[in-house]
Amino acid sequence: MFRVMLYSQWKWSRLIVLLGSVAGFALPLISVHGAARADSSPLQAPELLHAVQSWGVLYPVLAATLGLLVAIASWTPDHRGRHVYALVLPVPRWRYVLLRFGAGALLLAAPITAVLVGALLATSSAAIPAGLQGYPVALAVRFALAVLVAFAVFFAVSAGTARTAGIVLALIGGVMLVQVIANVARVDLDLVGKLQLLVLNWPGPLAIFTGRWMLIDV
Amino acid sequence: MFEHLNPRSPIPLYEQIANRVRLAVASGELRPAAALPSVRQLATELRVNPATVVQAYRDLEGEGFVEMRQGAGTFVREVAPQARARERARQAAALVREMLAQAGRLGVSRQELQAAVTEEIGVGAP
Amino acid sequence: MTNAIEIERLCYRTGRTFEIKDLDLHVPQGAIYGFLGPNGCGKTTTIRLMLGLLRPLAGRITLLGSAVPHDVAAILARVGFVPEQPHLDPMLTVRETLAFHAAFYPTWDRPWAERLRVQFALPDDQLFGRLSKGQKGKLMMLVALAQRPELLVLDEPTDGLDPVVRRDVLSALLEYVSQRQATVFISSHLVHELERFCDWIGVMDDGRLIIEVPMERLKNGIKRLRIGGTPATADNAPFVLLAREPANGTGETWLVREWEPHMATYFDGPGVSLHEVIDLDLEEGFVELLRSFRSPRP
Repeated sequence: MFRVMLYSQWKWSRLIVLLGSVAGFALPLISVHGAARADSSPLQAPELLHAVQSWGVLYPVLAATLGLLVAIASWTPDHRGRHVYALVLPVPRWRYVLLRFGAGALLLAAPITAVLVGALLATSSAAIPAGLQGYPVALAVRFALAVLVAFAVFFAVSAGTARTAGIVLALIGGVMLVQVIANVARVDLDLVGKLQLLVLNWPGPLAIFTGRWMLIDV
Repeated sequence: MFEHLNPRSPIPLYEQIANRVRLAVASGELRPAAALPSVRQLATELRVNPATVVQAYRDLEGEGFVEMRQGAGTFVREVAPQARARERARQAAALVREMLAQAGRLGVSRQELQAAVTEEIGVGAP
Repeated sequence: MTNAIEIERLCYRTGRTFEIKDLDLHVPQGAIYGFLGPNGCGKTTTIRLMLGLLRPLAGRITLLGSAVPHDVAAILARVGFVPEQPHLDPMLTVRETLAFHAAFYPTWDRPWAERLRVQFALPDDQLFGRLSKGQKGKLMMLVALAQRPELLVLDEPTDGLDPVVRRDVLSALLEYVSQRQATVFISSHLVHELERFCDWIGVMDDGRLIIEVPMERLKNGIKRLRIGGTPATADNAPFVLLAREPANGTGETWLVREWEPHMATYFDGPGVSLHEVIDLDLEEGFVELLRSFRSPRP
């Protein structure tokens, strides 16, 4: 069952996965060699760090994009068929969802591996100045986690009906409304700030996206 | 052979099928030991319920026209000429009954009908 | 005889109006059950509730002996379903679609699926999304048949298909039923098609099942009677009076149900006579039946 699910998943997301893999492979290489000068003099630490940091911003973007697009591709055939054939297959709903998730996650191994390979290649092929170190594996692992977290979040949202999406939006709207009322009543309540802290800072799930993505660091 | 099957007719389909076979046997169109289409074949071809075909064949078997052999199919039996003649007579009577009923509905009198029959068939013609 | 499908006092609503109210339905095992009803009366909703795609408000549904929606996944392995709208993955080719379903159904018959594919002339490498409407319909029926189900639930399987495709699809269905004692539940408004092979008929209108009888009884039981004279009431009649109206001249035309020939004696009496008993085919009968249910009884 998993094999046919994986195959159908592949058919829907192969373009995304391939492009993502190319991007994932290229990003570490560009971020390191983008700092190289035209006269091929050795890399300077400040410039290298600057290049790595600025290009590094694209890792979370790529992770979130891959997660989003593969999640959408996971549920498109069901949405198209009005969920009928999934609900009529002789497997419990939870198992079906698990099969889809597993298939998507497995396909995402490709761009993750691409990032790992690119990062290893980038750090080994460049002459890193003294005092700095390459962290290709750490970067790849972080990328992997970010991709999977994004995929999980968007997968859950895509799996839902319009009603669940509505509930989610209503909740967000409710929080906003409470905040506005609190502000007007001059009550010291920073809901949005607290939520942000909760979700984006460790050990919140989305903390993985924040901060600097440094392939090469001190 | 079963092209004139009419699902809209009040005569049940199994009766229509059985009737057609009876006629074919009586007229000699179906010879003894001829194989009738299998239940599956006929149901598929005519797009009717297989139970309908089974009922038709069972009725025919009960009347002695066919024999259903397990695993082999349904075959026409040797029917005595008197039996065949009886069947033809039965069919003819049914035809006439229907004609009379129709005539009644249309308002055609018996004499008019008689005249028309004589005219169409031809007095003394074979 | 056990029922393949049993529905008791089913209620369902979306919004404020009750779409299905107190529906009772019984499909005997091995029967070919035709589900008739005008558009929008709730046939598709009933089917969705039957298969556990929707949750009812009240009522009990039993499919092949098990309760829905508790053990749905296990039961669905034995049920072949053809929905109204094309539901298969548009990105898979015909061959890939068959492979996909083969993985989910332990009873899948690969050689037969291939024979049907050839019989239906479905190109192996064509994407489902690119097939014509007729080809989609054929593939959906193929997928439902190849799993060799005990029960087939078909929601307007031939709707919008040309006559040649309709024949192919129905022939394949009846061939399967000949081989295996499967139960078929087929919803359609192509009455003449159902007339050929259904042995049970359920007529639905306005969220309720108004009639559920063997086909022959319905077809042969609905008659139009031309009556001379004006009988008073029909309270103790052996048949069911659906409608009566005056005919030109003296006399009336009655529309009745559950008629049997011996009932002609009911009209033996002074001043009243039965002139003619007119047969109605299923479609006419169905239309008259609906009409009589919607307007007040005489």
